[in-house]
Amino acid sequence: MTPGSSKWLSGKGKAIAPYVFILPPLAYLAVFMFWPLARQMWLSLTDTRLTNPNGGSFVGLENYQWLFDDPEFYTTLNVTVLYAAVTVVLGVALGTISALAINRPFPGRPLARAIMLFGWAVPNVAASLIWLWMYNERSGVFNDMLASLGLDRVSWLTSTHMAFSSIVAVTVWQVAPFVMLVVLAALQSVPDEVREAARVDGADALSVFRAVTLPHILPSLQLVSLLVAVWSIRRFDIIYLLTGGGPIGSTSTLVVKIRQTAFESHELGVASAYGAIGLILALLVAFVHFVTDRRRQKWMAQ
Amino acid sequence: MTSTIALSIFRYVLIVALVAFAGFPIYWMASTALSANSELYSTGQVPWPQLQKLPELISAMAGVPIGRWLFNTFLIACGTTVLSLLLGSLAGYALSRFRFRGRGLVGFLLFMTQVVPEALILVPLYAMFITLGLLNNLMGLVLANVGFSLPVAAFILKSAMDSIPYEIEESAIIDNCPRFGILSMIVLPLIMPSVAAAAVIAFFAGWNEFLFASTFLMDRSLWPTSVGLASFIGQYETPLSAVMGAALLFSVPAIVFFLLIQRQIVAGLTAGAVKG
Amino acid sequence: MPELTFKNLSKSFGSHVVIDAFNATIEDGEFLVLLGPSGCGKSTLLRMIAGLSEITSGELLFDGDRANDWHPRQRGVAFVFQSYALYPHMTVRANIAFPLVMDAFKKWYHLPIVNAVARRRLMKSPDIAARTENIARQLELDSLLDRRPASLSGGQRQRVALARALVRNPSLYLLDEPLSNLDAKLRTQMRSEISALHHKVGKTFVYVTHDQVEAMTMATRIIVMNKGEVQQIDTPEGIYNNPANTFVARFVGAPPMNLVPVTRKGRRLATSNAQAWNHDGELPDGERLIFGVRPEKLQFLAWGQGRMPAQVAVVERLGAETVIGCRLVSDEHGGTTNLVENDLVFVRISGNPRTKINEQCSLDYHAEDVVWFDAHTQTRIPVRAAAPALV
Repeated sequence: MTPGSSKWLSGKGKAIAPYVFILPPLAYLAVFMFWPLARQMWLSLTDTRLTNPNGGSFVGLENYQWLFDDPEFYTTLNVTVLYAAVTVVLGVALGTISALAINRPFPGRPLARAIMLFGWAVPNVAASLIWLWMYNERSGVFNDMLASLGLDRVSWLTSTHMAFSSIVAVTVWQVAPFVMLVVLAALQSVPDEVREAARVDGADALSVFRAVTLPHILPSLQLVSLLVAVWSIRRFDIIYLLTGGGPIGSTSTLVVKIRQTAFESHELGVASAYGAIGLILALLVAFVHFVTDRRRQKWMAQ
Repeated sequence: MTSTIALSIFRYVLIVALVAFAGFPIYWMASTALSANSELYSTGQVPWPQLQKLPELISAMAGVPIGRWLFNTFLIACGTTVLSLLLGSLAGYALSRFRFRGRGLVGFLLFMTQVVPEALILVPLYAMFITLGLLNNLMGLVLANVGFSLPVAAFILKSAMDSIPYEIEESAIIDNCPRFGILSMIVLPLIMPSVAAAAVIAFFAGWNEFLFASTFLMDRSLWPTSVGLASFIGQYETPLSAVMGAALLFSVPAIVFFLLIQRQIVAGLTAGAVKG
Repeated sequence: MPELTFKNLSKSFGSHVVIDAFNATIEDGEFLVLLGPSGCGKSTLLRMIAGLSEITSGELLFDGDRANDWHPRQRGVAFVFQSYALYPHMTVRANIAFPLVMDAFKKWYHLPIVNAVARRRLMKSPDIAARTENIARQLELDSLLDRRPASLSGGQRQRVALARALVRNPSLYLLDEPLSNLDAKLRTQMRSEISALHHKVGKTFVYVTHDQVEAMTMATRIIVMNKGEVQQIDTPEGIYNNPANTFVARFVGAPPMNLVPVTRKGRRLATSNAQAWNHDGELPDGERLIFGVRPEKLQFLAWGQGRMPAQVAVVERLGAETVIGCRLVSDEHGGTTNLVENDLVFVRISGNPRTKINEQCSLDYHAEDVVWFDAHTQTRIPVRAAAPALV
């Protein structure tokens, strides 16, 4: 019958039953997730240093003041937002193109599909290692290729104008396969009849895509954009291992900065202030997703 | 007519390009490993894998403590999996089966963990682990990892549990099955594929994890593969073939499992964001 | 052996009342059928007896003890679900043995691995194994014990569900539309099997159905429900012969009782159109009445021989008997006939007469076969039986 009517336990026990189940995981998260989060907010208001992480005194908004006066902070913020935006656009675009390319069967499709998923499946550290080697300035495969074409070698990771793009390329290589899987799943839900009806009505391939296919995969695109954006804000290992945030902060995102400020400059207070900004950024992305999602659902319901 | 032929040629060219972009780095990883050459930096590399050099690669890899690293990685991944499934199934069951006060909040909190960057709780966890003596300890690392993989497991299991008819559980109640028995003996066995998906996701979250491991583990003997491999970066002389061989060994299980249950993984990773 | 008593039992979801002040007693050993259309609250009532749904207000008594808040396991009931609710991941044997294994379950068996070992052990213990196999033999499931539910037919699954209910030997069996997922032939067979089972175990059965044939054939007593309210509690005969209101009259019997709204003027009954005839038996007071008569009590006669002129609209030949649907017509004097009622009046006669559609005919009845209802309240108006007939 009605799900809510199910009476799980007798009498008084019933009211506690859900909490018996939810309490252990919630308590766990409280200790290892929400308490640290709250503490990190508190730390951002203190002058705590790594050498004495449980000491430190309250300094008010001094860390934030310091942050806002520091031009490096604006570089970091800039890089983070730009990195998230570019990876979303390129990752979703490439993933969608990949999905459309292999949606219809062709000989060798399972193999092509499997290979196209490699970037997503490889552990980040292994991915960083191989790209690092391919980007190697002296003997990496990219520069070898350029050399054999008679072109100049490129400082893929060590020049300010190339490092960001190089990082983005690796990121897109990693996220595009995930986008592809999500879009492929959505494409399977496009009813063939509607597509054929549109074609019979004289629509060309592009119009069919815009009128039939795109509306169908749009919710998935939005969802996957949110995920890619959030992952970009969270991503640490690839950037840290490939460039360490350099050169001159050109690839330094918030999370890289947090780790460096905390464990290389030992300034836990400032690192936590960076963290607070990072949290706000991540929540902002989630909020935008929820608002647009709700609006779209309302629009669909009409 | 000509336009459709042009279109399908374009499509194949596109597919070849995409496959090349996606597959080349892995191919190059294998090729580098099998060149079994410690002086790649100066001599350059033969672009195709030289299978005959496999024995040389194996002997070169003896210089990398890959066995130890993989063992540590395996321990971390197993711990993360067990704890995530245990707590995730409780949370998933509560969210799927009960309408209780604070349910929306719990859902939101679980969603939050998917948005929060790991780096954000790095410092407070570090301070906390010092106090609790969990620094430089595999258990501490597992505890940190589970905070992020538990909610994913909870969302996957919840959406699978939603499809189990209530009557089966009610039947178990009538049959005198105790409260937790319904979860462990009836519900979880019924959604085995989703449990497996959640397990694989949690396992490889622990397997791949780098940030916490590199921060919390100082002792070389405790290093997992991710930290071990990363330690070669920036070193002056890297045994490149051996490192690539180790990286390949490290990647193969992840690739195999991700390809095997890709659909469930995608469903699991998107589930949390769809229903906050 | 419990005697079940309901005192003003009510159930509502928010402001929506599902069951309103239900009062009844179910005696030991009864086969009680809760009959009603879907959504009438009968399943909810059954779930409240089992302890699966909460009681909003009122009392449920097991042998005089208030059982509102008892856990299902305290009530010692067996429940057969409409969907059977078999455990898909267990073999038939494990399904049947599950309640027995659970009865012997200890707290520390919750530990992983221990759990699997303990359950296997318990299932193989001589007592449980013997009882499982005994029940399986009774229900002819012994050859299927190691199969899983997915590989069974509907009837076999039904039997496994029954076996699982029987194995614990409870004192109260609750069955929620257990036959509704079976095809017609199997349903007839299972009907008699369940009846036989009731006789054999001699326990109380509470059976929920919307199928009046199941109710009539199996019940010792029937509770007819509609929109959360009890319409009538009586034996099948009582329900059939003396329906408490027009709802019961229409719901029980196929085809249902014919109900014709009439206006009484003295001994003359008039339908909404010009048709009218003289009634020869007792008549209740009141002007606006509903005239009810079972199809098999009507006489199907040639034109002009009966009091109610009619025209054949439908003929359903069932072999041994024939059901004829007629339209009452007016103006027996003129050549034309005007249709009176849109509702067909059904006549059930034995044999296979050569009746054609649109044929003119007439209907008649015996006064003692008529059941009267108040047109306003729709409830039955009792009329003194035609006792003087003997004199």
